[in-house]
Amino acid sequence: MLIRKDAIKIASKTIVDSPIIAANGYISRDLFEVDDKNTNFYMIGSMGLSSSIALGVALKNPKKRVYIFDGDGNLLMNLGSLTTIGKLKPKNLIHLVFDNQSHDSTGGQPTNSDNIDLYKIAKASNYKAFKTNSKVGLKKILRKIKTLDGPIMIKIKISKGGKPGKRIIHSPITIKKRFSRNL
Amino acid sequence: MKELTQKQIFDYLFNNGIENFIGVPDSTMKYFISQGFKKKKILITTREDEAIGIASGMALSNQNSLVFMQNAGFANSISTITSLVQLYELPIIFLIGWRGYLKSDAPEHYKIGRIQPELIKSIGLNSKIVTESNWKECCKWAVNKINHSIPCTLIIRREFVD
Repeated sequence: MLIRKDAIKIASKTIVDSPIIAANGYISRDLFEVDDKNTNFYMIGSMGLSSSIALGVALKNPKKRVYIFDGDGNLLMNLGSLTTIGKLKPKNLIHLVFDNQSHDSTGGQPTNSDNIDLYKIAKASNYKAFKTNSKVGLKKILRKIKTLDGPIMIKIKISKGGKPGKRIIHSPITIKKRFSRNL
Repeated sequence: MKELTQKQIFDYLFNNGIENFIGVPDSTMKYFISQGFKKKKILITTREDEAIGIASGMALSNQNSLVFMQNAGFANSISTITSLVQLYELPIIFLIGWRGYLKSDAPEHYKIGRIQPELIKSIGLNSKIVTESNWKECCKWAVNKINHSIPCTLIIRREFVD
């Protein structure tokens, strides 16, 4: 089964230097470890809001493709965001959800995504939605969406557990400044 | 607050560099919001913290935003303000409707209305209460704050019961 760090690495390396808003917890830490770059915004607190922050960035930077690295727990905390995104239909917003059906950063407690399909919710919210559970599948979808307009969701089923990435060493102000400068 | 004053507040902020008005509606400031709709500058979100997230993304893109909400929504948003807006020092103006300012307001507003001034103070947000007579001065102050990357709050009292 696909592990989070590998999925994040594949996605980040494919995206190259487009802005990425990464959800708090292990998602940000993994991204920092495998592919730290100026165009990454690591959300430290404010759980649930990566999709909203990314929507703000996408609306103001229509020439850039803006990526969200979200988790199932994060997304479920701000599910209303999907309806706001789906109503505004930003063409340049791509929402990756790394779904391990759990709050891995806090001890692996279950989320509702084992019973409720986030892919279906995305479709109902005007996203073009894709799903995969393999490296090959993820690479294929990332290639395919290059020519598609957003909003797009890719739900990536990953395994629970695994060693988390190291803690982010940059200060929040540094994260902000280098991200803003590179928009 | 009078309809005309609310419209003037919107126009002043809009004409002074505030480009985005995002939030959850509050009847205390309904004329402010309707003026924004007239100018096609309003984005209504599902929750207040969602609005703050969007405004934060716009702030990262060097655009000034205002987030409007009722004080019930402010209470919902405290963690987002401390761990996103203040942590990353993002310039956003909050416009908060002060329900529970009058003791005769509906019961659900009473407690939050009573503790609101202390709540705002204890999280370290700069704030001013906007009135019919000082609105321009308050708006000028808020624009100046966010031009210096400091988030701040404008408060409109709910002075009627419907």
